[in-house]
Amino acid sequence: MQEKKGYVSFVLHAHLPFIHHPESDDYLEESWLYEAISETYIPLLINFQKLVDENVKFRITMSMTPPLLSMLDNKLLQRKYIKYLKQLIELSKKEVKRTAGDKRLNKLSHYYLDRYSNDLHLFKDVYNCNLIEAFKHFQDIGVLEIITCGATHGYFPILYVNEKTVKAQIAVGVQTYERYFGKKPRGIWLPECGYVPEADKYLKEFGIDYIITESHGILYADPTPVYGTFAPIVSPNGVIAFGRDIESSRQVWSSINGYPGDYNYREFYRDIGYEADYDYIKPYIAHNGVRVHTGIKYYRITGDTDFKDYYNPRWAMDSAEKQAGHFLDSRTSQINNLSNYMETPPIILCPYDAELYGHWWYEGPYWLYILFKKIHYDDCNFELITPSEYIDKFPNIQVASPCRSSWGANGYSEVWLNPTNDYAHRHLHVAGDRMCELAWLYPNAKGLKKKALNQCARELLLAQSSDWLFIITNGTMVDYAKKRIKDHIGRFTKLYYQIKEDKIDEEFLKDISKKDCVFPDIDYMIYY
Amino acid sequence: MPRKTKEQNKIENENETKKTTTQTKKTSNKKTASTKKETTKIATKKTNTKATPTKNAPKASSSSKNKTKSTTKKVAKTTSKLTKSVKKETTSRKKVEIVEYYDLPYRYNQTIVKVLAQTPTNLFIYWDISDKDRKNFEKLYGDDFFQTTKPILIVHNDTLGYNFEVEINDFANSWYLHVSDSKCDYRIELGRRPITKNNKTNNIDYIYVTTSNEIESPNDRILFDKNQKMVYFRNVKTGNLTAKEFTSISFIRNMGKIYNIYDLYKEIYQDNNVEDLYNLSNPSSMMRQ
Repeated sequence: MQEKKGYVSFVLHAHLPFIHHPESDDYLEESWLYEAISETYIPLLINFQKLVDENVKFRITMSMTPPLLSMLDNKLLQRKYIKYLKQLIELSKKEVKRTAGDKRLNKLSHYYLDRYSNDLHLFKDVYNCNLIEAFKHFQDIGVLEIITCGATHGYFPILYVNEKTVKAQIAVGVQTYERYFGKKPRGIWLPECGYVPEADKYLKEFGIDYIITESHGILYADPTPVYGTFAPIVSPNGVIAFGRDIESSRQVWSSINGYPGDYNYREFYRDIGYEADYDYIKPYIAHNGVRVHTGIKYYRITGDTDFKDYYNPRWAMDSAEKQAGHFLDSRTSQINNLSNYMETPPIILCPYDAELYGHWWYEGPYWLYILFKKIHYDDCNFELITPSEYIDKFPNIQVASPCRSSWGANGYSEVWLNPTNDYAHRHLHVAGDRMCELAWLYPNAKGLKKKALNQCARELLLAQSSDWLFIITNGTMVDYAKKRIKDHIGRFTKLYYQIKEDKIDEEFLKDISKKDCVFPDIDYMIYY
Repeated sequence: MPRKTKEQNKIENENETKKTTTQTKKTSNKKTASTKKETTKIATKKTNTKATPTKNAPKASSSSKNKTKSTTKKVAKTTSKLTKSVKKETTSRKKVEIVEYYDLPYRYNQTIVKVLAQTPTNLFIYWDISDKDRKNFEKLYGDDFFQTTKPILIVHNDTLGYNFEVEINDFANSWYLHVSDSKCDYRIELGRRPITKNNKTNNIDYIYVTTSNEIESPNDRILFDKNQKMVYFRNVKTGNLTAKEFTSISFIRNMGKIYNIYDLYKEIYQDNNVEDLYNLSNPSSMMRQ
């Protein structure tokens, strides 16, 4: 048995913005959740269970953001997900008939029918529609560490001009975590890995031990960390920061030669939602007739060509196994090199978007499963670990202030602050200031006023979600993102005046409280 | 570099409607009336953008945009009379359907300057002067105060102790500014300088308006301190602080003094393409594309 010279820590960031439209079935954006459940969250749960059943020792960390938890816990969205699955099963059955003349295609249509039928069975009968409890189970048995995030993924480097708004993001993030997991989180995924030292005191106040930063959050720290990203640092205020490892990130993320680009993997962009006969597919696309992804995709990446070959799940699994071996070898050699120079064993921190695994990289969850099995069974020189475990084992940590940074393009705030979305910031700032003003004017309010003040806090938090700014920069679904900023700022402002004029419109308040029903336990006094 | 005229802002902000512009031009003293307008009241019918199409459906995208535009016009035309009647109608029904449409206010009528760091060397600044303060300036310096003076931003680098001035214009309400020094504290002052002098501004060279928040721009480099003798470690369980000599750390001893991160990574990865490895354009969240 080889001596363990270092550690590898996987951190998957599971996040979706809060999208909940009881007023209509027409919002396509709600399907982001359903796609993520079927392609990422259930596959991860299945693979965690397989590893447990096979007695594989593994460790993984996941941040589950408050909006995601709120949506997973929402009864209406659970019902809508079941409806979504039933529609997909119906479509898969039609596909089985339609493709009867093509053996390879027919096999794939059966594969989708089995897969979605199994999802429905698991979701309803095994998980009782409660995926949070399913993830919590793995935390309770000690293989998964779940951490929290900012309340609505508000981007700290822009919000912190009013520190109370950052404090509220942290406070509600921690409270939501406690509500679902029954204890305090030790770590937090800073929204977009956006670090500002001004947040440290609030992180400490709410009991957070550690954060995850982009690589230069550590490398550009002050003073220079002597072990680069291969050991955490602790800020003068006592927040421990782990930095993203550059090499392992590239291996998975690179759009040119990253693992998800393997030619045997499923092609994301070829979906029958766009390719099937319009009248045939119409009942399964958007209500307004817009073609959308259905989740049934028959082709593999094949190569840099428009002529795609059919997807072959066996070939895809072979590629995932080969790549898991490559990842293992790369980490082994990386840790061999590093351990020669370090007093304490190095940690290679590998943070990714959870939705990369399964949604974008369809085979990702299987790759993770194979990798964890290999790490367990092969005689390699490292072990999997969570950041908390690493801190407990190696509590001597260099003191340095992490660098202000994010994991967005170019490493700072350009994604969330640029000419496409900069118009939004003054509105977010004013609403933040007004929320503090309301808390100061009406402390410890009761009855209707308290309800209205709490709803103001919800509207503010929802407006602050970094997702809207990101989507506007990205140039897709822009109308929806802009509308969300307008709606939440609009609702907030209307309520703000109603509260100040003591003319709260109960019907209006009831209506928006139903739509924006996130954080039922919120207390607006966090802004006091 | 100038950014965003009022006109551009109107277009970009998706219907910062004519209504709000006239509101600004009027600069009325009816504060409550104008601020009330910030939120649009209940509209007659909801036809907001729904089912935003994906990037693979450009046709649908443009049609949904048109839909939004026509909706806005409709809403803008809605008279308060109509709003009242809808309100009445809705309250008389048992199941109330609240229909909403909002625009972002064009301005908040505050005297304010805010600065944010976009990158280590690019700052984003936005500002406004309230109607009340505008009137005060006109009272103090003449009715043509805003025509005979030009707006400027003074950038204060409080870390290195210097400042410089940038001329802006009255058509803009935000600006991107390049600064030379990362990891420095910056403060922005909004002021005005006379272009032509009148009897009230004859002896005046500069009129202060207001100052922004202070920010620290991010660091953008490895901070090698050649004089660094000690490295401090804290035991996060006990709180004990220990110091080690910089040169005693084997990471450093083996590498020699590290003055360049590329050398460090070349040593670790033994990879010639470390420049490519160390590229800050890391991918971010993809699910929301």
